[in-house]
Amino acid sequence: MNENLFTPFICPSIMGVSTLPIIILFPCLIFSAPKRWLPNRMQILQIWLIRLITKQMMLMHNKLGRSWTLMLMSLILFIATTNLLGLLPYSFTPTTQLSMNLGMAIPLWMGTVVMGFRNKPKASLAHFLPQGTPTPLIPMLIIIETISLLIQPLALAVRLTANITAGHLLIHLIGSAALALMSISLALSSITFIILFLLTILEFAVALIQAYVFTLLVSLYLHDNT
Amino acid sequence: MLSRLALHAAGALAPALKNAAPLAPGVLQASRIFHTASPHLAPLPPLPEHGGKIRHGLIPEEFFGFMYPKTGVTGPYVLGTGLILYFLSKEIYVITADTIAAVSTLGLLVYVAKKYGPTIAAFADKLREDQLAQAEAVKQASMKGISDAIELEKKQQALVAKRHYLFDVQRNNIAMTLEVYYRERLHKVYTEVKNRLDYHIAKQTMMRRKEQEHMISWVENHVMKSISAQEEKEAITKCISDLKVLAKKAQAQSQPVL
Repeated sequence: MNENLFTPFICPSIMGVSTLPIIILFPCLIFSAPKRWLPNRMQILQIWLIRLITKQMMLMHNKLGRSWTLMLMSLILFIATTNLLGLLPYSFTPTTQLSMNLGMAIPLWMGTVVMGFRNKPKASLAHFLPQGTPTPLIPMLIIIETISLLIQPLALAVRLTANITAGHLLIHLIGSAALALMSISLALSSITFIILFLLTILEFAVALIQAYVFTLLVSLYLHDNT
Repeated sequence: MLSRLALHAAGALAPALKNAAPLAPGVLQASRIFHTASPHLAPLPPLPEHGGKIRHGLIPEEFFGFMYPKTGVTGPYVLGTGLILYFLSKEIYVITADTIAAVSTLGLLVYVAKKYGPTIAAFADKLREDQLAQAEAVKQASMKGISDAIELEKKQQALVAKRHYLFDVQRNNIAMTLEVYYRERLHKVYTEVKNRLDYHIAKQTMMRRKEQEHMISWVENHVMKSISAQEEKEAITKCISDLKVLAKKAQAQSQPVL
C-alpha cells in the first residue's frame, strides 16, 4: 500500500483535485460554539481549556500585544488539533509540510518585526546589540544578531515540520519493524510493540508541546517588539 | 393529481375559480411550509439528557435492534467478524506498519478514555454546576435584597404607627421648658420688685435714723447749752452727796452680817 516511506506525507488528492483545503479546515468541526447558556460537556471543556491557555499566554503582553490574542489562540488551537489528529492511523497532517509551516511562520514573524520597527524603531534596533558587550566585538555581534533574527522564521517552520515528520516516520518505522519481527520472533516483536506504545505516548506529548512552543515563540517575538 | 381533480371540480362549481387555473401549481404547493420569517429563538426546545445508546463505543444500538428480528442477538457480531475476515483475506485491507501504529494509538486512546473518562466528565459537570450556582447565587442575592427591603419597609411602617409617643414626649418637654422659663421670669420679676421696695425701705430707714440722730444731737446741744455753769455745779455736788449717802448705806448693809 505504501510504496515508499514518505507516502503518508504526500498531499492526498481525489481524482486530481487536492483535498488539502478540506483537511486543513477539518479540525474546526471539533470546536463548536455553544448556542445555549449552559453548554454541553465538550463545549464546557473547550471553553475552560481556551480560557486557561489564553490567560497563560497573554498575561505578559501590553495592550498592543494583546490585540494579537485571537491570532495566537487560533494558531495554537489549529496546530495542536492538527498534530493530534495526525496521530490517528491513515491520516494526513498538514503541519508536516514545510510549505505550510513557512506560510504560518514567515507572515507572523514579519508582522512582529515590522510592528516593532514601526512603533519603537530605536528599541527594535537596540535588540541587535546586547547590553555590556566589549567595543571590539560590536561589528561581529551585530552581524550575528542580524543572522539570528533572520533565521527565526525558518527555525520556527523547520522546528515544527521536523518534529512532526520525524515522529510520524519513527512510528511508521518501528511499526514496520514490529510487523517484520512478528514472523521471526514474537517476543522481540512484543518488545518492539511496547517501544511503539511508549513512542505513541511521546508523540501525543510532542504534538501538544510543538504547538505550544510555536505559539510561545511568536508571542515572545511579539513581546520584544511591542 | 387528486388535488388537481378537486380544483377542476371547484372550478366547475364556481366559474370565478376558473380564472384560478394559472395559480394551480402554486396552490398545489400550498401545503408546503415556506420559512418566511426568522425562526423563534426562544424558548429553545429542551435537549435530551443522554445521547443515543452506543455499543462498543462505535455502533448505535439501533443497528442491533434493526438486525435482531432477522438474525437474533449474534447477527451484527457475525456480520462484523465476517467483514473483517473478508477484508483481511482478500487483502482489501492490507496489514502494514500503519496497522501496528493504529493498534498502538487506538489502544492508547481507549485506555485513556476508559481510565480518565469519568473524571473528566465529572470535572466538566462541576464547571457547569459552578456556572449554574453563580447565576443562582445572583438570583438568590437579588431575592434576598428585595425581601430585606420589604422587611425594612414593614418595620418602618410599624415605627410610623408608634410615632405619637415621640410627639407626646417632645410636647411634654417643650411644655416643661416653657414652664421653667415662665417661672424664671416670675422669679426675676419678684426679685426686681423686691429690690425696688427694699431700696425705698432702706431710704426711709436711713432718713428716719438721720432725723433721729439729728433730733438727739439737737436736743443734747440745746440741753448742754441750757445747762448754765451754776446748775452744773449744783448737779455735781448733789451727785457727790448722793453717792456718799449710798456708800454709807452700802457700808451699813454690809456690817450687820458680821
